[in-house]
Amino acid sequence: MLKEPIKVTINGAEIEAEKGAVLIDVCRDNAENIPSFCYYKDLAPQASCRMCLVRIDKMPKLQTSCTIKVTDGMVVTTQSPEIEKAQRSMGEFLLTNHPLDCPVCDRGGECELQEVIFDWGDVEERFKEEKNKAPEKYLSPIVANDPQRCILCKRCTRVCDEWMGEDAIEAGNRGANTVIGTYGGWLNCSQCGNCIEVCPTGTLLDGVYRHATRPWELDQTITTDVYSSDGMQLSIGSRAGEVHRIVARDRYVNGLNGEFLDVKARFAHEFINHPDRIKTPLIRYSKGGKLIPATWDAAIKYVAHKLSAYGSETAVVASPRLTNESIAALGFFARDAVKTEKVGVADRQSMAAFFENLSSPLATHKDIRYASTIVLIGGDPEEEQTYTAKQIRQAVRNGGAKLIVVNETPIRLTTKASIFIHANHGSVDAFALTVLDASNDSFAAEKLGVDAGLLGDVRDAVFETKGDVIIVCGSDLSSDAQAVIAATAGSLAGDGRRVLLHPLPLYNNSVGAIDILGGGSERDALRSAKAAYVVGSLQDASLLAGKEFVVVQELFETETTVHADVVFPAASFAEVDGTFTNNAGNVQRVRKAIEPLNQSKPDWMITRAIAAEIGVDLGFEPSATSAFKAVADAVPAYEGLRYPALKDESSPVQAKYEIASRDVSGAVDSLRRSVDAIQPADKINETPKVGHKLHRLTTMTSKTPQFHLLANGNPKPDNLLVSPLVQIEPSGAKREMAAAVGVGDRE
Amino acid sequence: MATATPTSFTDQVAVSDEVAEFSPAVVEEMRSHLTKYPADRTRSALIPLLFVIQRERGWVDNAGVNFLAKFLDLEVTDVWETATFYTMFNLRPVGRHHIQICKTLSCRIMGEPEITDHICSKLGIHPGETTEDGRFTVTMVECLGSCGTAPMMQIGFDYYENLTKESVDKILEDCN
Repeated sequence: MLKEPIKVTINGAEIEAEKGAVLIDVCRDNAENIPSFCYYKDLAPQASCRMCLVRIDKMPKLQTSCTIKVTDGMVVTTQSPEIEKAQRSMGEFLLTNHPLDCPVCDRGGECELQEVIFDWGDVEERFKEEKNKAPEKYLSPIVANDPQRCILCKRCTRVCDEWMGEDAIEAGNRGANTVIGTYGGWLNCSQCGNCIEVCPTGTLLDGVYRHATRPWELDQTITTDVYSSDGMQLSIGSRAGEVHRIVARDRYVNGLNGEFLDVKARFAHEFINHPDRIKTPLIRYSKGGKLIPATWDAAIKYVAHKLSAYGSETAVVASPRLTNESIAALGFFARDAVKTEKVGVADRQSMAAFFENLSSPLATHKDIRYASTIVLIGGDPEEEQTYTAKQIRQAVRNGGAKLIVVNETPIRLTTKASIFIHANHGSVDAFALTVLDASNDSFAAEKLGVDAGLLGDVRDAVFETKGDVIIVCGSDLSSDAQAVIAATAGSLAGDGRRVLLHPLPLYNNSVGAIDILGGGSERDALRSAKAAYVVGSLQDASLLAGKEFVVVQELFETETTVHADVVFPAASFAEVDGTFTNNAGNVQRVRKAIEPLNQSKPDWMITRAIAAEIGVDLGFEPSATSAFKAVADAVPAYEGLRYPALKDESSPVQAKYEIASRDVSGAVDSLRRSVDAIQPADKINETPKVGHKLHRLTTMTSKTPQFHLLANGNPKPDNLLVSPLVQIEPSGAKREMAAAVGVGDRE
Repeated sequence: MATATPTSFTDQVAVSDEVAEFSPAVVEEMRSHLTKYPADRTRSALIPLLFVIQRERGWVDNAGVNFLAKFLDLEVTDVWETATFYTMFNLRPVGRHHIQICKTLSCRIMGEPEITDHICSKLGIHPGETTEDGRFTVTMVECLGSCGTAPMMQIGFDYYENLTKESVDKILEDCN
């Protein structure tokens, strides 16, 4: 629905457009293809490639449609001999220094420059002089750079600045010598790789995927990110059962995240085909012995026999990384097969209290981008929920939103904040008491170690807002504080002001786990259990010590499998069909890109097989579709959802949470008591380094060798022409190297 | 055989966290540059401050760049971007006397090549190099706007015009 429709004539056809929309968008929405390289939706216009020239009546000369906003009665021509001549000349200029080495370029086949030039068929090249020559080199372990292919559209510098707020990559030198790069030639940023994604040529390339396959040989499967709780949509490129790369979904038909991905989503995928994957079921026949490969039949029979004997003495723990189907299968297993109450989720910090007390709807990521005021309480979205952080940054920078940050650590977003409440170490919970009214201000201000007036300023800023107020709640708040914030948010609304909530859980399916299993923790579940059935890994594997019988489903041997008596090989997210629920409540599809490797099986299938052996039907057929139907029937918020309804990732479906005004006086009282017990502490004054959480080595990320270099301080190698993996030990120490030849050196 | 020379020589800079220190008087001078611009656009002072850094440290070095990034609340890359754009900023060390010979049309016609050859053979270096004793650096620059007195060169901030081999000898002797 257009807010202020106006009439524009494009190529003789009168169409309706939004007042103030960018002309190139309007043309493209109406099927008029305009080539452009530097234009990128929602980034500051650059107008340097001069490809999007159009003729506008009553305007002298051709105009760049990426910098023109449509006005009423505008008459535009996008195709004429004059325009084509101009665009061809520009194409010729762009190709003056661009080498025509498409056959050896990783971007060949999905290159925007190639596409446009190919469409014309015969670009005449009259430039006879020597072209700029430069060797291919590395800008970081995961960003490869071929400077001569650059057409200086500066998309990379703009996404780095506007999306990531890092300014890590810029254009240096001038004139014909301009290159994209950085001081010292080595990127010490969060390594998100968005510059690679938006590059319209083969200048910036994925250093993990480099020279692995050609893009057209890959099968593209649209699925959901397995790391952050933002539920970013991505495309897995696989060939012959091997995952080669991950890119964001296509630029024009995309999921909630557009082309945005972070370093883990984009590059930490080598665990999928890693040789260390558990290949067969393993049984430890006596405690302290070795895990010995077994057949599926034997292992399932053994586990079924044991678990049915332990019955309600069994604890069932699900990892928040699993699909909804697998988590629900576990829930059904606990309820029907072993009839146990001991059910938990292995989340680091659960946000169950938040979801139980919702008094306002959840914000979608789009709501955050167009919000008027954003209150970020706790959490570190730039390191953990990167897409939320990008939306906050763009809301402030491009949308003029007001950002209020309440945090113990001066996270990087605080530099964009208009109010920063710098809480004492361990006291951020106290802020929850002051959200609604001033009655607790002086008490909370003392505990937070800030001026009480600031707390009033926050409320004033919220109550003055016209438009959307987004309350972003970090998972590092206590359950009571989460409950109070979620329950009081609803009463802040009114007078043209909408209040929306946005939680920041830590894992890709933390929300789904809460929806299905509730807020039980692994500690509570395991406390008095004799046997344990763990799917995924625990936060604290030592909880399993002394358990009589432990079953684990995992991808790799971890600290948790050390305690296991039986280990089943689980299939990774790239090998299963299913759904994840993200922090905006969007239930999104996970799709199978490759067949399960070795003998692994989807988690829900293993659970179902054990139950069947016990003699219990979990209520769904052996298919993901049927498993999801069972989930949707069991969880009120997912009522009526089926896979076909989730088919289109560009319009994600939001789960229907119960929104009501809640009585949280109990939580307020216990929060006041716990805040009262907070001891005065110092403030943390140092802003943590970029990537301190993103580059952390975990079971999954450590399988991508480049992450070892990032985690060890990302040292700059001596020779930028040779892959840093060859020059630097995983520990970050420099290797002795014989004189190395550059990878793509053309000298 | 490949050479291990990446495109831009600033790729070779070993970036460290070292931040340059300046005397209170110099810092005060830098602050006075800030006052010329609106309070929320102090990054506009980048170019005058780069000149101060170059004057104080001889060239725009890593520690100086880090200082500016902190001083103006910019990223190091922003400083790099600006400093590499302008040829007036030396991103590697130069000699005490920085000889910049104009190579543009008027000077070229009026005999710049002979002057350049003469200076370079006298100092024993090529354009772009520094003498071993660190006294002289010769660089070739574009038009310095003194075409009426071509050929000409600039040493430090001073113009030397209507050059002949003899006058060049005299000028170089006067440089200590």
